[in-house]
Amino acid sequence: MAASREGDRKAYRQFLAEASVRIRSMLARKVGAYSELEDVLQECLIALHTKRHTLDPGRPVGPWMYAIANYKLIDHWRKRGRSPLVLDDDADMDVAADTFAGMDVEGLLGALPEAQAEAIRLTHIEGLTNREASDRIGIGHSAMKLRVHRGMLRLKEIVDEQER
Amino acid sequence: MNKTDSILDELASQGALPAAGHSLRFITPLLVALVVCAGATIAVLDDAFPGIATTGAGPILTKWGFSLALVLMAPIALWALGRPGRRTNLSVAILSVPFVLVLGLLAMDLSINSQTSFPGETWQRCLTAMALLSPLAFGGAIIAMRALAPTNLRRAGLVAGLFGGGVAMTAYAPFCPERGMLYMAVFYCLPILIMAGIGWLAGPKLLRW
Repeated sequence: MAASREGDRKAYRQFLAEASVRIRSMLARKVGAYSELEDVLQECLIALHTKRHTLDPGRPVGPWMYAIANYKLIDHWRKRGRSPLVLDDDADMDVAADTFAGMDVEGLLGALPEAQAEAIRLTHIEGLTNREASDRIGIGHSAMKLRVHRGMLRLKEIVDEQER
Repeated sequence: MNKTDSILDELASQGALPAAGHSLRFITPLLVALVVCAGATIAVLDDAFPGIATTGAGPILTKWGFSLALVLMAPIALWALGRPGRRTNLSVAILSVPFVLVLGLLAMDLSINSQTSFPGETWQRCLTAMALLSPLAFGGAIIAMRALAPTNLRRAGLVAGLFGGGVAMTAYAPFCPERGMLYMAVFYCLPILIMAGIGWLAGPKLLRW
């Protein structure tokens, strides 16, 4: 950062790239969805740049950078609503037809908690919408979305583990 | 190349050298607030320093001692609050010292002078001045803070409120004929704390960046 301030743009590019790696790894622990993570990361990088005058020369960069990143993350959550979990219906429902081809789907579902497995059976196998499925088993619409979302995330993890 | 990479390139092409004058953008609104409040009071009110010949400089020195302490210490706290990653507990906590001293003096004053005339004759004018001038100076502090990057918006709003109240008191005190610590506690300290409370509540809305 010191070299960047002397006008070295290459050094500044390097600083920003390094900052983006560190902030991304911090955000990855707190933000689930990839697209959302990239949005917050980009906001953080722009904030680091526009508020770079608030970093005093000689002071450590880390606390300054993470304080801004944390502020932007909280601001992002506030804008979007309090839940740090993104319930993206389209993403959850938009599973490519051959994603689970050749796999023992029932076996996979058996590895999930029963509530999540049932939610996925209703929405992804029987083809009900989230609302129809929530009406059928008598739970709230949001609760159904949450079950499907968490179940799909877990299924993806299981499949990834098996492919390794 | 993804969007994040192109943002990195775009930002890097602008260079890391910060724009000049950011300190000035912080200090100017604070000074303007102080000058406007003092100027407005001088323009509207007559008879500065009433009773200084009879009661001496003690009352005005006490009032100014308290208010100037806030006016000088609040910008230091605001400066620290506007720089992410800085520890700010001490610079904010130290702002409570003038209030603690006033409480101590109030206890002493009440134990010595049990027959204090309260609330005095000009309390309405005092409250009006505090109510009009505090938000003005508070606005200056908010503008000043927007030049920086506060990450604790409530705390920054609270300190901006203390600055606003401190400036209002500094501007009006020379025209205040009242004395006694009870008067000071109720008609100066309390409005300042109310302004600080408003700042604490409004900070997240006014200081978001």
